[in-house]
Amino acid sequence: MKISKKVSVPWHIVFLITIFLLIFPIVFAVGSSFKTLQDAYNNPLSLFSLNPTLENYQTFFDSLPALQITLNTFLIASVVTIFKVVTSFLAAYAFVYFIFKGKNTLYFILISTIFLPFTVTMIPNYLIISNLGLSDSLWGVVLPQLADAMGIFLLTQALRTIPVSLIEVARLDDMSHWQIMRDIVLPLARPAVTSTSIWFFITAWNEYVWPVLILKSTENFTLPLALQMYISSEGGTNFTVAMAVSVITMIIPLALYLMFQRYIIGTFTSSGIK
Amino acid sequence: MKALTKFLLLCVCVVVLAACKDSEVGSAGDDAAASGEKVKIEYWHVNAETQGGKTVEELVEEFNAQSDTVEVVAKFNPDMYKGLMQNLQAEAAAGNAPAVVQIGWAFLDYFSNNFSYVEPQSIIDQHFEEDKTFLTDHFLPNVMDLAKNSEGSQVGIPYSLSNPVLYINRDLLREAGLDENGPKTWQEVQEFSEVIKEETGKYGFYLQEPADNWATQALLESNGAQMITDGKATFASAEGIEAYSLWADMIVKEETALHIGWDQGIQSFIDGNVAMLYTTIAQRSNVQNNAQFDVATVKSPAWEGKEVKLPAGGAMLAVTAQEEEQQKAAWEFMKFLYSVESVAKWTEGTGYVPPREGVADAENGLKQFLEENEMMQAAVDQMDVIVPWTSFPGDAGLQAEQLLLDVRDQILGGTITVEEGLTTTQEAINKLLE
Amino acid sequence: MTASLKKISANKQAWFAYGMLLPSVVIMAVFMFWPFLYTIYLSFFDWNMIKPTKEFVGLQNYINVLKDPITYKVFWNSAVYIFILLVINFTVPYIFAFILDFVIGKMNGFYKSAFFLPAFISLVVGSILFTWILNPISGPVAIVMGWFGLEMPIWSKLDGWVIFVLSLITSWKIFGYNFILLYASINGISREIIEAARLDNVPLWKIFFHIVVPMSSATGIYIFIITIVQGLQFAFTPIKVITQGGPNYASSNVIYHAYHEAFVLYRTGHSAALSILTMVIFVILLILEFKYVERGIYYENK
Repeated sequence: MKISKKVSVPWHIVFLITIFLLIFPIVFAVGSSFKTLQDAYNNPLSLFSLNPTLENYQTFFDSLPALQITLNTFLIASVVTIFKVVTSFLAAYAFVYFIFKGKNTLYFILISTIFLPFTVTMIPNYLIISNLGLSDSLWGVVLPQLADAMGIFLLTQALRTIPVSLIEVARLDDMSHWQIMRDIVLPLARPAVTSTSIWFFITAWNEYVWPVLILKSTENFTLPLALQMYISSEGGTNFTVAMAVSVITMIIPLALYLMFQRYIIGTFTSSGIK
Repeated sequence: MKALTKFLLLCVCVVVLAACKDSEVGSAGDDAAASGEKVKIEYWHVNAETQGGKTVEELVEEFNAQSDTVEVVAKFNPDMYKGLMQNLQAEAAAGNAPAVVQIGWAFLDYFSNNFSYVEPQSIIDQHFEEDKTFLTDHFLPNVMDLAKNSEGSQVGIPYSLSNPVLYINRDLLREAGLDENGPKTWQEVQEFSEVIKEETGKYGFYLQEPADNWATQALLESNGAQMITDGKATFASAEGIEAYSLWADMIVKEETALHIGWDQGIQSFIDGNVAMLYTTIAQRSNVQNNAQFDVATVKSPAWEGKEVKLPAGGAMLAVTAQEEEQQKAAWEFMKFLYSVESVAKWTEGTGYVPPREGVADAENGLKQFLEENEMMQAAVDQMDVIVPWTSFPGDAGLQAEQLLLDVRDQILGGTITVEEGLTTTQEAINKLLE
Repeated sequence: MTASLKKISANKQAWFAYGMLLPSVVIMAVFMFWPFLYTIYLSFFDWNMIKPTKEFVGLQNYINVLKDPITYKVFWNSAVYIFILLVINFTVPYIFAFILDFVIGKMNGFYKSAFFLPAFISLVVGSILFTWILNPISGPVAIVMGWFGLEMPIWSKLDGWVIFVLSLITSWKIFGYNFILLYASINGISREIIEAARLDNVPLWKIFFHIVVPMSSATGIYIFIITIVQGLQFAFTPIKVITQGGPNYASSNVIYHAYHEAFVLYRTGHSAALSILTMVIFVILLILEFKYVERGIYYENK
């Protein structure tokens, strides 16, 4: 399909401007993480320092068990992602391909928890976790996040785009539900499952309000919590160290994304069903 | 599908690895507890790395190394005393409590009304005959009073003490042809700011605007106003309105002072866009290390002919341990924290003013440090005019504080006059406190 | 879809379905529904979570919430947030996705990755970062504006501006995710229909509204809803880090205000009542969505 340059060139410009706006803060963060704090305060316009320094990273690694913290964050994010994708997928499958009593009501009730503000769940959940003896543990952080409405909603929407006729045929061939799920539905729902997983991972990776409540010792900290140690209204925020921690925090999901990028891009462009 | 499977496998491996590691750590910890029989207590603090976090860690390590009976675990709480209070709330709701906590002055009444705490002296009286006079020997009565609630109970012991000072950019003052030693009175602050604006085009002044009324109290009470008299809000007196008006006029009418969030205000002072900054001494190292101009601190300005009164900032240490063993351990730890050496270390690390006597000029204390950091001097010099930070009494105390913040936004935003704002807020607060 | 589904369920495998739902239901029952019921219960009490006694006050908390002018302010603010967030994170990426797929076609790998990049970063980081970048006196943007003689408004203290800037910061994170999903959906639309339309010289905007939007509506509605719901929750972080709801509640939204009441002022009952009211409003919207919008949505298995 041919579109004239007259139409496409202005759009390229619009896109590039948008990208500049989106990427500039990231470049600014990376640049700042290699500056001294004094430099950052006094030369806000130079994105990168002429005398780059690693001292911000050094500070982070010296003052906190940085590797342990990174590993913790990875663990929490992975466990949450895996469980949440599985629970959401199973639920979505049940909602789309089965008829059972109370289906619509149950779906509606589950989905309506999307609207539940976290202020409602915070303290009661803390009581549960604390009574289970899981405060200051990674499992305490993970447990309440193992299922949520968002995942069920997204995957249900996705599965509904898969023709039921395919499933019917499979059932007539005496395939079990597990087989159908594995061989038909899952491959077809790949884009949705992938994008949901990525989103779950990023969200769990950056989660901060809940771990602040649960985690106490620095060995159990996650990266977003470690970041808090460099932010203080009273003593002043150490902006450059905070940016160094931020760079480390973003680089890992980013690396994972790039590692699997070919696959992910493939997923997004192959259009589900064709 | 392959990549996804690979990714899942990778995740599973890491999880399994970590699980193995976790169980090792767990069992090791149990062993230690079984053999050493140390009493384990939690110490909750708010000290981010920029505010003495490193020092907390060092002090705790040092204490643990020298104590055979007690082991302290420090927990950092983000978002200052407000954040700590939130976590404490959850912990209390779950029926637990740490042993030692830092409580910000603004929460003094709320904390003492709602949490169960033990007065340090009563632990001492019960278990530590030898320390009977520790508190009276080493603390000034007016300092100890900071940690007394409105019912007169000694809720805790002052630990982090700060007061507001005026940071000045001498280069800018000189450029504007002003006295490089800075203004002495609030009227001069106003005049200076006008000259600075005219001569240099920069902002003259920024007064900190965090989510509390600490600096506002310093401004008002130094003019003879009282935030609270006999349990009733009384800040909307003629003096209070006069003091507030000076600040509001500088922002709204004269546009010589900056009205902005705390972080951004400090940033603008450090990079030379604002000539004078009124904020806590706790910001000293941040300012001192990062400003590239001739920077100094001077004592908090006075109102002509009136006595300066500065609310103490910072926090006290309170004991929330419930069991006797824990309480004993808590005092042992606190006694360590209040030793001359520890307090000196604490002051150097945090930039707070030492809460106890015999530290500032002691050789094993802060003598050298104060000589090297002249900017500390202003804060140390004005310790004699310290008054308690007003903490509104009763259940609605925090709400009352919030009303004052709301009206600050309205006044400085120019949507309401100072007189009207303060008067209606005072009425509203008094209605709440009833 | 019901007619064909009957065949599957003819196997009477409803138990199988319940089994599949079990993990989600159990976890959500414990960590969502129980707290929710507990919150309903708390909304009838005057309590601060730690006092030994709760005082039963009936509907007083609801009355207080409804009488409080701040409540209306934060609801109005929430509506403004939702509007701005929808424009930036629903309308714009919808158009962008369409343009990228049908008009540009080139470099789409690059564009997609670049748009998605900020999604990796937490809003805590974003908030600190933007506090510096957008410092109206000292930040790089203010300095560059100064070269052109422009003065940057002190946005964090100005009504209106503050919501706009906080929405921009929030959008910075969610734009890319929404874009990618919409792009995937539009990309999946069968080419033949569109080719045919183009051969008939149907203008682009008509193709967009008459073919693309209806055929990608399943994803569209999803993005629409999460932008509303998560948008308010995401905006919480910049509000908390940058303005704490100020000046005078001008940047507060319902989520932040519920937090403020519960965890800053410790008015648990008041906060609970506010949360419940918020829930009710959103659930009503959800019911309307189910009733009216869902019918018009295009699912391939219909």
